[in-house]
Amino acid sequence: MSPIDPRLQEALDGERDPGELPMDQREAYDRLIAATQVLTAAPQLSVAARVMAEIQQNPAPALAQGPMRRVMRWLGRPRAVTLRLRPVWTLALAAGLATIILLLWGPGDGLTPGRAEGIANFVGHFPGARSVEVVGSFNDWSRGVLHLNDDDGDGIWHAKAVLPAGQHEYMFVVDGERWVPDPLAGRYVDDGFGAGQQNALLIVRPAAVQP
Amino acid sequence: MMLRLALALALVAAPVASQTGGPRLAGRVPAAALPAIDSIIATAVAESLPTEPLVQKALEGSAKNVPADRLVNGVRRGLLQLRAARVIVARAVPGQSPPEGHVAAVSAALARGLPAPIVERLLTVAPNEPPGPALHAAADLIAHHFDPDSAADLLADAHTKGLRGVRLLDVAVAADHELQRGGGRTPSEALAHVRALLPNVPAPNRP
Repeated sequence: MSPIDPRLQEALDGERDPGELPMDQREAYDRLIAATQVLTAAPQLSVAARVMAEIQQNPAPALAQGPMRRVMRWLGRPRAVTLRLRPVWTLALAAGLATIILLLWGPGDGLTPGRAEGIANFVGHFPGARSVEVVGSFNDWSRGVLHLNDDDGDGIWHAKAVLPAGQHEYMFVVDGERWVPDPLAGRYVDDGFGAGQQNALLIVRPAAVQP
Repeated sequence: MMLRLALALALVAAPVASQTGGPRLAGRVPAAALPAIDSIIATAVAESLPTEPLVQKALEGSAKNVPADRLVNGVRRGLLQLRAARVIVARAVPGQSPPEGHVAAVSAALARGLPAPIVERLLTVAPNEPPGPALHAAADLIAHHFDPDSAADLLADAHTKGLRGVRLLDVAVAADHELQRGGGRTPSEALAHVRALLPNVPAPNRP
C-alpha cells in the first residue's frame, strides 16, 4: 500500500485548501471525498426489508381467514426441500425398496416354471403319517428328493414342484416304506410288474398354456 | 430349488446315458437283474426304439424292491409295448420315420389300455403333432365308461375346430363333468352336449 501524499492528507484533514493541490492530487481528493459521502450516507433498505415492510403495510388476506384454511394453504404451498444423501445410502435404499417390492408382489411359492414346465400340486390325506414323499419318473424314482409337508398336523400332506410338461408316473411313499398310489390322481396305469399295482399318472401342463 | 436342480441334472443326464441306461442303472438295479435288463435295453437301441421308458421301468421296479424276475419281465413288457407302438405309428404315419416322441407316447397309451385302433385313428387325425394329450384324453374318456369310438369322434371334432395339445384334455374333463351333472344324462348325450360346445370347453383353474 503506497503512503498518501502529505499535501493530500492535509487537504483531507481540512488543514490545507484543496484548491492549492496539483491537478492529479485534486482529482484524487475529489474521489476520496465522494467515497466518504457514500459511506456516511444512510444505508438503503435491503430488498428483503422492503418486501417485509410492504407486507406489514398490506396484511395478507389469509391472516383474516380461519385456521383450517391457513393450514390447507400451508400444506398446499410448494416448498423447496433439500435432501442430502451419500450415494452408498441411496443405493442401499433402492436395494431395500426393490426387495420389499419383490417380497410383496413376487411369486408366493417361489416356483417359476419355464415354458416347457408346469407346476404340479401333490396332496394326500395320511393322518398319523410321520413322513410322505413323492417318487416318480420325474426324479428317476429316487427317494428323498420331494417330501410333502403337513405343517399344521391335520393329516393333509402337500407339496408343489416345477416339473417338465408331459406325462409322469408316480407314487407316494408313506413313512419310508408304504407305497401308495395318489388317491386323488384320477388317472392310473398298471405298473407292469405283475402284482396288479397301479401308478398314479400326472399330466403336467406347460405354464405357457395354463390359463 | 434343490428339487429343480436335481430334475435339471436328471434331464441333462438322461439323453447321454439313455443309449444303454448303464450308468443310471448301476448301483440301483439288483445285480441279479442287471444283465438281462442291459440286454433288453441293448435290443431297443438296436431296433431304434426309445430306451428311456425301459430305463424308467427298471429304476421304478428297483425302487419298489420288485423281485428280479418280475423286474426283468416288467422291462421286457415295456419293450414289447414299444414295438407294438412303433407298428401303430408306422401305419398311421406312413412313409416317414416316426416323429420324435410318438412311439413312447403311443406305448404309454397302450399301457393305459387304450385300444390300438383308437390310437391309430387319433394319430391319423394329427400325424405331426405330439399325440400324448389326445391319447390321454381318449384314455380318460374310456376310463369314465364312454364308448371308445364316440370318444375318438369327439376328439377328432375338437381337433377340427382348433383345439390342440392339452386343450384336448379339457374336452375329456368337460364330458366327464357333463356326465356327472346327473339328471339321467347318458354318456352319448354328454358327448353330444360337449360337441355342441366346441371349441369353447372350459379350461381348468390354474394350480
